[in-house]
Amino acid sequence: MHFSPLPYLDPGSGSLIIQIVVAALLGIGVAVRASWGSIKKLFGIKPKADDDNTDDDTN
Amino acid sequence: MTTPTNGQLSASFRDPSGFLFSRNGILYRQVNRAYAEDYARLMDSGLYEKLVKANLLIPHVETDQAPAETAASPQEEAAFKVIQPECVSFISYPYEWSFSQLKDAALATLSIHKRALKLGMSLKDASAYNIQFVRGRAMLIDTLSFEIYKEGEPWTAYRQFCQHFLAPLALMSYRDVRLSQLLRVYIDGVPLDLASELLPFKTKMNFGLLTHVHIHAGTQKRYSDKAVELRKGVMSLQAMIGLIESLESTVKKLTWTPADTEWGAYYDATNYSDSAFDHKKHLVREWAAEKKPKLVWDLGGNTGVFSREAALSGAFTVSFDIDPAAVEQNYQVVKKNKEQNLLPLVLDLTNPSPAIGWDHAERDSFGQRGPADMALALAVIHHLAISNNVPLPQLARFFAARAKWLVIEFVPKSDSQVKRLLSSRRDIFPTYTREGFEAAFLQQFNIHKAESVRDSERVLYLMETR
Repeated sequence: MHFSPLPYLDPGSGSLIIQIVVAALLGIGVAVRASWGSIKKLFGIKPKADDDNTDDDTN
Repeated sequence: MTTPTNGQLSASFRDPSGFLFSRNGILYRQVNRAYAEDYARLMDSGLYEKLVKANLLIPHVETDQAPAETAASPQEEAAFKVIQPECVSFISYPYEWSFSQLKDAALATLSIHKRALKLGMSLKDASAYNIQFVRGRAMLIDTLSFEIYKEGEPWTAYRQFCQHFLAPLALMSYRDVRLSQLLRVYIDGVPLDLASELLPFKTKMNFGLLTHVHIHAGTQKRYSDKAVELRKGVMSLQAMIGLIESLESTVKKLTWTPADTEWGAYYDATNYSDSAFDHKKHLVREWAAEKKPKLVWDLGGNTGVFSREAALSGAFTVSFDIDPAAVEQNYQVVKKNKEQNLLPLVLDLTNPSPAIGWDHAERDSFGQRGPADMALALAVIHHLAISNNVPLPQLARFFAARAKWLVIEFVPKSDSQVKRLLSSRRDIFPTYTREGFEAAFLQQFNIHKAESVRDSERVLYLMETR
């Protein structure tokens, strides 16, 4: 394992594996979305505001 | 929470980054040297300020208090700082939350992790017990939950998040809202194989629940006794964000709407006239204003109508009710009106939250979290004395242990609500009369006021423990 330092709670082998596989898949979506933004920018379409300001009201 | 000699809280032992201790009635958090770098990053990166501003993290001040004394260990050397977090008016636990409270706590946790990632940090644990309702908002109370994010590393708290939040929320939403009570049995969250077994088949059509619960449970089982060797940089930041957003959208899509439960529409079905209702509200407001309690417990608070009258006095009011639908409605009102001093919680008075966890000392029982300054017991005594057969002297002792002041409503046998309770059973309660009630409660209390509620046969009392 390459955690540095090692976590104080065991993340669980199975939990790590499923998380990495699913995240890799979902990461593609995030990457596409990110580059989609820059493509849109090329055509002068303003990107959406940083969601930092929109997710303030999570609760 | 019982404390060893140095005042260290008994629930605060797992994380070597630091711990909570109490000194002279004030709660402090010791930050250990091992955590110094992470703490500095939290404060210097602007993350702390940002989270506090967004009402997602409990504010604290750094103090010059001496570290907790631990004679036998090198704690003195281990200490880096002592901080004093804002005091939380009432500590509640996830098995006492309504559906939306647990959901908001889950979303707050994810939002905190996302914001942390943007500033180079990560949330290293996702325990539901690290979230408390402060000023009406779900807030992280463990300042030491952050660590410097190293790109490439997976989220260590993923398993914990799924067990503490996702699995119970899915069960409450797809099966039955009462399954939140599994959290009372499983202190580290609902085991995913159990959740997977209990969830209906259709949840496998939901990508988030399919992966984060069902397949997750399967891989946990497959790798339960194997160590995995992961190569470095196995999970990109983009992948991490994808994971968090997937969890976020899965949680957001989970819903629960209170249907017609026993009490959901209680106030529409009472035998009260408007004037009796208003009179009762007026008396509660007046007596709370007179006695100025700091902490009020409304025991059997339903949707919080009378809790709000007590809260008008400025008291922090906890509104307990057995019905998750009533608590859900109450919480929705808190959110809508941005109420800061009212906390609705699910509690069965006939079987209140026990102390749980290691050495029975990690999570306090309902009783240990008291006493309050004032307790309200309105339209509840007949449920305890008749439905649950608790003798009146025992009830008096129970209430006397809860608070100095007691506002209690006596509901006589002639009342239609009591008649309904007695309609299908033998009346074995010869002492359940106004006189019997007063005699039993006089053993524990002085009765200051007794007012007949207008247009009803009920009596409202203000009592003080002897």
